[in-house]
Amino acid sequence: MVQQLVVNGLIAGCIYALVALGFALIYRTIRFFHFAHGAVITLGGYAAYTARNALGGPMWVGIVFGALAASVLGLAIDCLVYRPLRRRKAPDLVFLIASFGVFLFVQNAIQLAYGPGILSLKTGPISKGHDLLGAIVTDAQIVVIVTTVLLTAILWALLRFTDLGRRMRAVADDSLGASVIGINPKSVIVASFGIGSALGGVAGALVGWETNLEPTMGLTLILKGIVASIVGGIVSIPGAIMGAILIGLIESLVAWTLGAQWQDLVTFAVLVGFLLLRPTGIAGLARER
Amino acid sequence: MEYVLHILTMVCIYAGLAMSLNLTVGFAGQPNVGHAAFFCVGAYTSAILTVGCGASPPLGMACAVLLGSVTGALASAPALRLKGDYLALATFGTGVIIHALAKNWVAMTRGPMGIPGIPSVSFGNVTLSYPSAFCAVAVAYAAVTYTLCHLVVSSPFGLALRAIREDETVAKSTGISSSAHKILVFALSGALAGLAGALFAHHITFIDPSTFTPMDSLVLLLITVFGGMGSLAGSCLAALVLIGFPEILRYLGLPVIVVGPLRQMAYGLLLVMLMLWRPQGLLGKYRWSWCT
Repeated sequence: MVQQLVVNGLIAGCIYALVALGFALIYRTIRFFHFAHGAVITLGGYAAYTARNALGGPMWVGIVFGALAASVLGLAIDCLVYRPLRRRKAPDLVFLIASFGVFLFVQNAIQLAYGPGILSLKTGPISKGHDLLGAIVTDAQIVVIVTTVLLTAILWALLRFTDLGRRMRAVADDSLGASVIGINPKSVIVASFGIGSALGGVAGALVGWETNLEPTMGLTLILKGIVASIVGGIVSIPGAIMGAILIGLIESLVAWTLGAQWQDLVTFAVLVGFLLLRPTGIAGLARER
Repeated sequence: MEYVLHILTMVCIYAGLAMSLNLTVGFAGQPNVGHAAFFCVGAYTSAILTVGCGASPPLGMACAVLLGSVTGALASAPALRLKGDYLALATFGTGVIIHALAKNWVAMTRGPMGIPGIPSVSFGNVTLSYPSAFCAVAVAYAAVTYTLCHLVVSSPFGLALRAIREDETVAKSTGISSSAHKILVFALSGALAGLAGALFAHHITFIDPSTFTPMDSLVLLLITVFGGMGSLAGSCLAALVLIGFPEILRYLGLPVIVVGPLRQMAYGLLLVMLMLWRPQGLLGKYRWSWCT
C-alpha cells in the first residue's frame, strides 16, 4: 500500500516535473508567469492524438509530434503577444493578464476543434501492470518515468555543457549583465520558448497516454507546475523537480487519506502557504517580492 | 420582454461585480484574479440558508453580504505580503480553493448536482417572482453599488487607497496603514460581490459550481480591465457590452456546443488585444505603473 502510494506520487510528480521544467525554463529568461503554457501543454496532448490517428505507428511518433506542435505554439505566442509587449516595456502584470487571455483563447479553440469530451491516446487492449517492489505499474507509467529522467538529463547537459546553455544560464542569472557582455537575449528567449514548450508538449502527450485528454486539462497541469516551481524556488531547475515530486507525493497522500477530489484544494493551500510564509521556496533562490 | 429583463438583470449583477472588483484592482492596485470566489460564497450562502434552513431571502442576502466580506478579509492575507504577479497568482489560488470547496463539499453544497429551487426574492408577503420587479431590485443593487463605490473612492479612505496604488512606501510614510486599508477594501469588495452572488442565486433559482470557476474570475477581470482601471462608469459600460452583446450570438442559430467556446475565445482575444493596445481599458486613465 505504501509502495503504491509512493509510486503513484512519483508518477504524478514526473508529469508535474516536465510541466514545471518547461515553465521554469521560460520564467528564468523572461521573468513573468507564462500562464498560457497550460494551453501549450493541452495542444501537445491533442497534437499527439491527431498524429497517432493520422499516422499510426508507435507511441513515440505521437509524443514527438506533440512536442513539435507545442513548440510551434509557444514560439508563436512569444512572437505575436509577448514580443510586442516587451517592445512597449509593459509591466509584469500586463504580461500575466495577456497570458491569461491567450490561455482562454487557445483552450477554447481546442475545445471547439475536438469537442468538450474525453479522448484517450491509448489503443489496443488494456495490458496488465507490472509488479515493481510491491506496487503495480503500467507500461505507460514506466514510459512516463523513463522519459522524465531522460529529458531532465538532456536539459541538464544542455544547460551545463553547450554554448546555448551557458548563454541561457547567463540570462537567467542577470539579463542586463548578459547583454552587456554581448549575449543576445532575443535568441535565448526564442530557445527558452522552443525548448520549454516542447517539454510541455511531451507532458501533455504523456498525460493523454497515461490517463486521458480533456480541453480543460491544461489549467490543472499549469497550476500544479507553477506551484511546483514556486515551492521549489522558481528560478532553480533542481528546485522545480523537487517541488514537483513533493506535490506529487502530497497529492498521493491526500488521495489516500481524504479522497482524490481534495487534491487541488490541498495543493493550493500549499501554494498560498508557501507564498505567505516562504515565498522563496525550498531552494530559496527566488527574488524577494 | 421577459428575456430582455433577464439580460438587464444579469448586466446589473455583473456591473456590480465589476465595480466591486475595480475597488481592489483599479483603485487600490491589488491584482485580484479570484473574484468569482466572493460571488460564489454569496450565492451559496443565500441558497443554502433559504433552501436548506428555510430562511427568508432578505436574511439570506444579509448573510451573503456578511460572509462575502469575511471571505474578502481572509483573501486579503496574500495582499499583505505579496505584490504584482505573485499576488495575482495567490488570489487565483484562493479562487481555485473556493471553487474546489463548492464542488467537493457535497454535504454542504450538494457538489456538482447544484442547488435547485432557490426562492425568488420576497419581502414579507410580497414575492418578486415577476421579472420586472426582480429586475428593479437588480438595477437598485447596481445603483447602490455605484453610489457606495463612488462615495468610498472619493472619501479620504479612497484617497489613501490610490496612494497605496501609486507608491506604497510613500503612503506608509505619511502614516497610512496599508495593511488595514487592504483588508478593508477586500472586505468591502467581497461584501458587494457576495450580494451580487445572492441576487444571482435568487434570480436564476439554480446554482452549481460551474458558474464560479477560476475561468469566470478571468472573465470578471476582463470586464473590469476592459471598462477601465479605476473607472466605475467604465465597469458598468463593460458589463453591458461583454454580458449583453454575446447574447446576440444566440440569434445566429449556432449550436450551443459552438457558442460557448466561441464566446470564451472572443473574451481571451479581447483581453490580449487590450493588453497590447489599451492596457488601461476603455474609460480608464491610469496606466498600471504600480506593478513594475
